[in-house]
Amino acid sequence: LFSVQDGLATDFRALTKILYDLNKALGSNVVRGGPLKELVIENFDEEQIWQQLELQNNAVLDFFKKSIARDAKDEDLCLLSDQEEDGSDAETSSDLELEDSVMEAETEQKNIYTKGKAKEKQSKLREGTMQKYSDEDSDIDFDIEALEQQTKTAKETTLKKMGKKSIVDDKFFKLSDMEAFLEHAEKENREGEEDINYFEDIISADEEEESEEAKVKTIKSSRDLTYKDFFDPIDDNDDVVANDVEDDQVEEADGAVEEQNEESMSEVEDMNEMIMENTRSKEASKKVTFSLPDDSETEDITDTLLEKGMDPSEIKSSFEKRQEKMSKKIKSLEEELLEEKPWQLKGEVTGQKRPENSLLEETVLFDHAVRMAPVITEETTFQLEDIIKQRILDEAWDDVVPKEKPKEEAFEYKKRITLDHEKSKLSLAEIYEQEYMKLHQQKTEEEENPEHKEIQEMMDSLFLKLDALCNFHFTPKPPVPEVKIVSNLPAISMEEVAPVAVSDAALLAPEEIKEKNKAGDVKTDAEKTPTDKKRDRRKKKLRKRMKRREKEKRQKLLEKMKPEQGTKLSKKAAAAKLKRLTKEGKASLLKDEGKDKVLKSSQAFFSQLQDQVKMQIKEANKLKKKQKQQKAVSVHKLKL
Amino acid sequence: VGKGEMRKVAVPANRYTPLKENWMKIFTPVVEHLQLQIRFNLKTRNVEIKTCQETKDLSALTKAADFVKAFILGFQVEDALALIRLDDLFLESFEVTDVKPLKGDHLSRAIGRIAGKGGKTKFTIENVTRTRIVLADAKIHILGSFQNIKMARTAICNLILGNPPSKVYGNIRAVASRAAERF
Repeated sequence: LFSVQDGLATDFRALTKILYDLNKALGSNVVRGGPLKELVIENFDEEQIWQQLELQNNAVLDFFKKSIARDAKDEDLCLLSDQEEDGSDAETSSDLELEDSVMEAETEQKNIYTKGKAKEKQSKLREGTMQKYSDEDSDIDFDIEALEQQTKTAKETTLKKMGKKSIVDDKFFKLSDMEAFLEHAEKENREGEEDINYFEDIISADEEEESEEAKVKTIKSSRDLTYKDFFDPIDDNDDVVANDVEDDQVEEADGAVEEQNEESMSEVEDMNEMIMENTRSKEASKKVTFSLPDDSETEDITDTLLEKGMDPSEIKSSFEKRQEKMSKKIKSLEEELLEEKPWQLKGEVTGQKRPENSLLEETVLFDHAVRMAPVITEETTFQLEDIIKQRILDEAWDDVVPKEKPKEEAFEYKKRITLDHEKSKLSLAEIYEQEYMKLHQQKTEEEENPEHKEIQEMMDSLFLKLDALCNFHFTPKPPVPEVKIVSNLPAISMEEVAPVAVSDAALLAPEEIKEKNKAGDVKTDAEKTPTDKKRDRRKKKLRKRMKRREKEKRQKLLEKMKPEQGTKLSKKAAAAKLKRLTKEGKASLLKDEGKDKVLKSSQAFFSQLQDQVKMQIKEANKLKKKQKQQKAVSVHKLKL
Repeated sequence: VGKGEMRKVAVPANRYTPLKENWMKIFTPVVEHLQLQIRFNLKTRNVEIKTCQETKDLSALTKAADFVKAFILGFQVEDALALIRLDDLFLESFEVTDVKPLKGDHLSRAIGRIAGKGGKTKFTIENVTRTRIVLADAKIHILGSFQNIKMARTAICNLILGNPPSKVYGNIRAVASRAAERF
């Protein structure tokens, strides 16, 4: 079904060529581009023809785009309704405002189109709308800043136009105007915070405007400025005062802007714009107003005007106004000086002399003698907790390290400072000299490199070895005694006159040799007091008791463990031993016959002994008696 | 140096011969190092020291006088020489009876305690405290720096008051070790 229809193809080509040539022949110079004057189709591929057409189409498309953009902004066409559906509230409100301004501008445009002002309005509006339509694709991303600026500029133009009447309005004051002004001032403040460079915006706006527009503007140079450029014509009388008020009010708020504007006078390019803006902001004011740095001046003037209800036709010159103001100020200052001073300026004020709680309203400065306690905030607690946590993780506790008293033995202490009992060989001067040298040499000693010491030692040992090997008459060094012997010499040797070989021998005290008895001196039995004796006896008994208990315990244990061995010293063993001895003849066993009761008990023995002795004595006495009787000569015998 | 200033030091009889023997050693440093004029007045038995034109230092005269006085008191020449070489050496004298009123045997025993057997105790104190002590019967002269004089004086007073030498040794050892640690 699908086949190349050559006939149709050639027809089409011819038709396109005719169209193209016709188009070119009509010669519409509107479209820029399109270099080909006629479409060549002979011996040309479809692709090539297509490319030719594309060339033309691109140019045409560009042109159409621009024209469409331009025409879309045209007054008769209104595509704003599309935009209102989407976007935020701010956008919608701003849109409304813009719409209003657009509408109003439209009405006025024709009236004042010839004047330069309108152009600026138009440019501004166009800028606004253009900016809007440039963002057609991205509906939501709206440059609010730029919009605000537009609204601000639009506002300036439409301040006059908002003609809503209210009860409060009179010749000088319009509520609607005030509200508009306030909103404007607020926006100014906001803009001031955002630090918008007014120049940049304005320049860019102009550039855009210039780039977009193909129209040629009448740009005036600074030399060609006339009265008309600055001021409105003298026609409007009704709104003069209102304009003045508005002017001044606007002037106050736009003080910064105006100053900037004035500063920018030097710029030739944007001179006109600035001037236009100024004129716009002043809104056809007849008189010359110098916006001095003291804006309050103008404010006061307007206030005075309002208060006194002067006829605005009686306008004073600015000099007169200033003079008035100055005199007023002087008067007020004089009054102030003559009046009583407030309590703050009265020096030392007690509580009675000032109103109640008046210090609370004052900010009082005083020196803090003491460092303020740290304010405990959440942050500080968090910091502390962090530190604590980290410490716990690191296990870096702040434990108290127990200090130990260094225990020095008396022995070592004595060794530290040795006592020399001899007359010193050095004189006092030399001693102090040595001390001095020691003090100063310590520094040089520290500077000695330990590495050098090491090297020196190594070298010494090496050379010693080499000498031992090669020197014929080598004499080895005497051995260095390493061990230091402390001799415990008796005290008497120290008392000797002859010099002692070991000078720094330490004499050990007797206590160092043998520990002293806790009880004190040793006493003989004769020296002991009864308490001492009793004490000794108690101790002895205790010792014995302990010993016996130990023995019994051991015996019991032994009996339990090994019953055979437990009977080592029993009766049987003793009898057996005795038998053995008697057999050998070492011991003779005395038999117990009962006769010898004497041997059993000491009483019996001694009684028997006593009897024996008595018997002997009796016998002896008897003998004696007999002898005596024999010797005794009877009287009868001797009787003579 | 203005007019010539002069100092006189009396010489007791017992020191006459030692002075004669050590005269060379005495006058050499005075004349050479201190640039003073020194002579021994035989009639008045005084050693006289005078400044002259070559004297550069004003304090030299006092130093020389002290030096001679120290020798006269009984110190060795080499020890007394330290007075010239070092600025901060002083000479202190006191009596045994200043410390405690002792008489007769007690006094002798005290002196004996100070001296020790063969001068042992005195030498010990001298060595530990780095001073020089002259024990002339009941008079005691100490030569040394201020701190050391104090240490020696304390030790000697303790001995006079009756402490045994071993205890005094212990005390001076402790004090000396502390002083040494400080420096």
